[in-house]
Amino acid sequence: MRALPLLAPVHVLILGVIVLPAFYVVWLSLNASSFGRAPVFVGLQNYIQVLTDPAFRAALLNTVLLVVLAVHAEMAIGLGMALLFASGLPFRRFLLVTVLAPYAVSEVTAVVMWRFLFDPDAGPVTLALRALHLPTLDWSFTPSHALTLIGLLTIWLHLPFTFIIIYAARLAIPGELHEAARVDGASRWQIFRRVTLPLLAPAILIALLFRYIFAFRLFSEAWLLTGGGPARSTEVVAIYLYQEAFTFNAFGPAAATAWIMVAVSLLLAAGYVYLLRRQVAADAR
Amino acid sequence: MTDHSRFRLSRRALLAAGGATMLGGHAARADGKTLNVLSHKVHQTVLGTGDGDLMKDWRKANNADIAFTTFDSNPLQDRLFREASLAETEFGVGYLIDNRPTSQIAALFEPLQPRQDKSPIEDFADIAPGLVRGMTIDGKLIGIPVRHATQGLFYNEALLEEAGITAPPTTLEELVAQAKKTSFTSKAGTPVVGMVLASDLAVFPVMFARAFGGDFISADFKLVPNPAAMESGLETLRAMFEAGSLPRSYATTKNDDQVTWLQQGRAAFTVLPFARFAQLNDAGQSKYPGRIKAMEFPVAAALKGKTPMAAVVEAWAMAIPKNAKDKDLAWSFIREVSSKRVTLGMAINGNGPVRVSTYADPALQAKNPVAAVEARALANARGAFPPFPEAARAQATFLEEVQLAVLGRKPVKEAVAAIVTRVKPMMPA
Amino acid sequence: MRAERIAIPLGKALAVAAILLWSLFPIAFIALSSLKPGQEIFAVPPKYVFTPTLSHYVELWRGWRGFFAGLLNSVIVTAGATLLAVAASTCAGYVYARHGGRLLNASVAGLIVVRLIPPIVVTLPLFPIVNALRLNDTHAVLIILYAAFFVSLGTVLMRTFIQQIPRELDEAAAIDGASRLTTLWRIIVPLALPGVLAVSVFVIVYSWNEFLFAFIFTATRAKTAPLVMSEMIGSIDGVDWGILFAAATVQLAPVLLFVLFMNRYLVAGLTAGSTKG
Repeated sequence: MRALPLLAPVHVLILGVIVLPAFYVVWLSLNASSFGRAPVFVGLQNYIQVLTDPAFRAALLNTVLLVVLAVHAEMAIGLGMALLFASGLPFRRFLLVTVLAPYAVSEVTAVVMWRFLFDPDAGPVTLALRALHLPTLDWSFTPSHALTLIGLLTIWLHLPFTFIIIYAARLAIPGELHEAARVDGASRWQIFRRVTLPLLAPAILIALLFRYIFAFRLFSEAWLLTGGGPARSTEVVAIYLYQEAFTFNAFGPAAATAWIMVAVSLLLAAGYVYLLRRQVAADAR
Repeated sequence: MTDHSRFRLSRRALLAAGGATMLGGHAARADGKTLNVLSHKVHQTVLGTGDGDLMKDWRKANNADIAFTTFDSNPLQDRLFREASLAETEFGVGYLIDNRPTSQIAALFEPLQPRQDKSPIEDFADIAPGLVRGMTIDGKLIGIPVRHATQGLFYNEALLEEAGITAPPTTLEELVAQAKKTSFTSKAGTPVVGMVLASDLAVFPVMFARAFGGDFISADFKLVPNPAAMESGLETLRAMFEAGSLPRSYATTKNDDQVTWLQQGRAAFTVLPFARFAQLNDAGQSKYPGRIKAMEFPVAAALKGKTPMAAVVEAWAMAIPKNAKDKDLAWSFIREVSSKRVTLGMAINGNGPVRVSTYADPALQAKNPVAAVEARALANARGAFPPFPEAARAQATFLEEVQLAVLGRKPVKEAVAAIVTRVKPMMPA
Repeated sequence: MRAERIAIPLGKALAVAAILLWSLFPIAFIALSSLKPGQEIFAVPPKYVFTPTLSHYVELWRGWRGFFAGLLNSVIVTAGATLLAVAASTCAGYVYARHGGRLLNASVAGLIVVRLIPPIVVTLPLFPIVNALRLNDTHAVLIILYAAFFVSLGTVLMRTFIQQIPRELDEAAAIDGASRLTTLWRIIVPLALPGVLAVSVFVIVYSWNEFLFAFIFTATRAKTAPLVMSEMIGSIDGVDWGILFAAATVQLAPVLLFVLFMNRYLVAGLTAGSTKG
């Protein structure tokens, strides 16, 4: 117990800033309150209001779409890149550093960049697509295009993470395994399908779960790019929460939304911890 | 030709001044004070800069700097209420729109009558009594009116001429036709849209509904009192969007874009407060100085000569958050800004003056050719909607349905019906 | 077989080109555009050859002094959050690496779960608390928030790195009469330096770039650079994009160089942080 003073700072920070406030949110979510109005206990009414609000459902659908499409696309690209790197590339260290670059970019700066790249009038990407007679992203008008742009932006920002996890796992696979498979006459595809992929599976699952959880809380990219518009059609759950809390000053529904977010994240987290446990058990064997 | 050079405002110079005062907030003289003001950019702009700084003497006399933090209208109100709800705020003065202070919101601000009794504002009776009433909530005066913005129709005369239009529209139908004609590529090679409107403010759909004799929420809290008129208004906007007379980026267009687009010759028509006249014609910013004109927003042909247009008027007031630190300094600022001298100076810089006497000033009349038009429009003008607790949510819901209708994602009839059913539960009992 | 010998290097070259384009083009384009004179930013087709000018940087300096105040705030907040998070994580990571037991192991799982709570969730309850403590719009509130959201990862990382240091070293120090803190500072920290650096990279990049908390908890005094930039996005006209690009470049350059320079520690941290929970 002499170790307690060393443990205290971390636990005080976490309890004070994250855990206790998160429980306070539970209490808030069971009350109706706003600026200058005393809270009134309303039971589960806030949850019912949020869950039956079409705007919340639309936001949830957008978020799920973003999570499912963007994260899996990101995984496919990250996996492809990791395999490419592992197959031997010139200037590998330089290229690796290059791939890491977007990790340093803030969401705000990234929005500045991508908004301009895809500017409907003068954006270089828009112009290039037009010159090639390809369809352009009409993101200021079509919600699905706006969501696509948000998706691209979030892939761009987080690909370094996914790539590094997969690449590190790929490097950990002993070369002899591939060697042996080749000697047995396996094709490239067979080697990938039967040797590489199963060995990468734990890393892929962990990276996916992390990205699910982080994509689910996406806020800044969408907020700065579209503000949730047009007609709230590109709203994500975090924007819904922000609006309820800070635009409509409806703290009850906002808190209920917050707990719905926590619940979904914890559900995903449970999956993560379960996978880790299984992996630890497998390592121990 | 009017001489605009006398009150030319350079955006760059303004930005520079804004930045300098912001820095002043951090590096204030050791003995000096800083008054933090939360406002829209335009409120800062009209106070002038450099030699034209209307607050120069006040700064010196009080040994104080003024640091503005500026936001667009709705985010500004969100921020102001959030700041005012804290234990303490850095902001001494906040600018408040007249359709936001409900009883609960008003309770966050300092009652100003005691201060007015103790150290009064110059000739207070001269400030439009209607505006003062709008800032008196539950019998308490919580804001001093500082700006009224009456919406008018602006058009670029040069672009109209290029499209072969000789006279501005006299009815809404003519406006629609002219906007369609001016959706072309101008001689300068710029693609022009007939009209540019922001999609995040209730003002514009309300103007279109009123042109048909309708409204969103009337002063006596009737929700969509005339659904057919609201439908006609939205139908008109919808048709304009479909015809390409509104920009394709309508859904992401902001209030500031309207100013830029008109100045750059990218749009032929817009709806803005008359007070923006000077800025739109400013040779330092505008590609069409002197060619941008303003008039009353036209009513539909069926109403012409029968019902006058009820333009949207928005009033701004200066308020002191109850939790502000130096309320005396804040009140001193408000008194100075409300003085006859500064009110006139701001009016010349493009502010809608709140003092009746200011309109009579020959200097303003000479410099503001639209003063008479504005006075006419103001006669029948009223707020976009009255204040009530759920007003922010009601406006957001209204705009969501309007956007759906204008973009063609929902039939207009359904959108109007949805406005009624969705906003009804938010209305005050 | 012949075809494959050509196709594979060609495919690889194309893939490398695509990777470079994807990762660097957005960054390079903004940095280059910040040097373009006025209207050339909007030239159609985009100009890649032009006479560079610093005019946008001059305008940024003259017109948006608040941005530089924001940068200073970012430096203060980043430094504070990094010190706090690294110190706290190292202490806790040391305990976790050297001691076992049911309670401690359970609290490691707790650390992982806490990491997964979305930050926006706590803004709502923290808002009145921060106000009651009069911490609104201060550097301290951001420092505490940023550190709190990274000490869980930091602790797990430090535990992993410290576990690799032989226990005999601290036992020897203990026999020599060194206190726990002395051992930690004199023996563990120098040997676990890669871990300290890995944690620092995470906290620095996060604190330097964070938007949401800064957006909600600061107003004037502690406003960080990303927040000033978001205000610039909202209030800048079409013609002034150059100033925004200049600001973006100034905000990005130091952290980008830092990440590139520290890439080893970033990679080590990322892999250790997600797989060795």
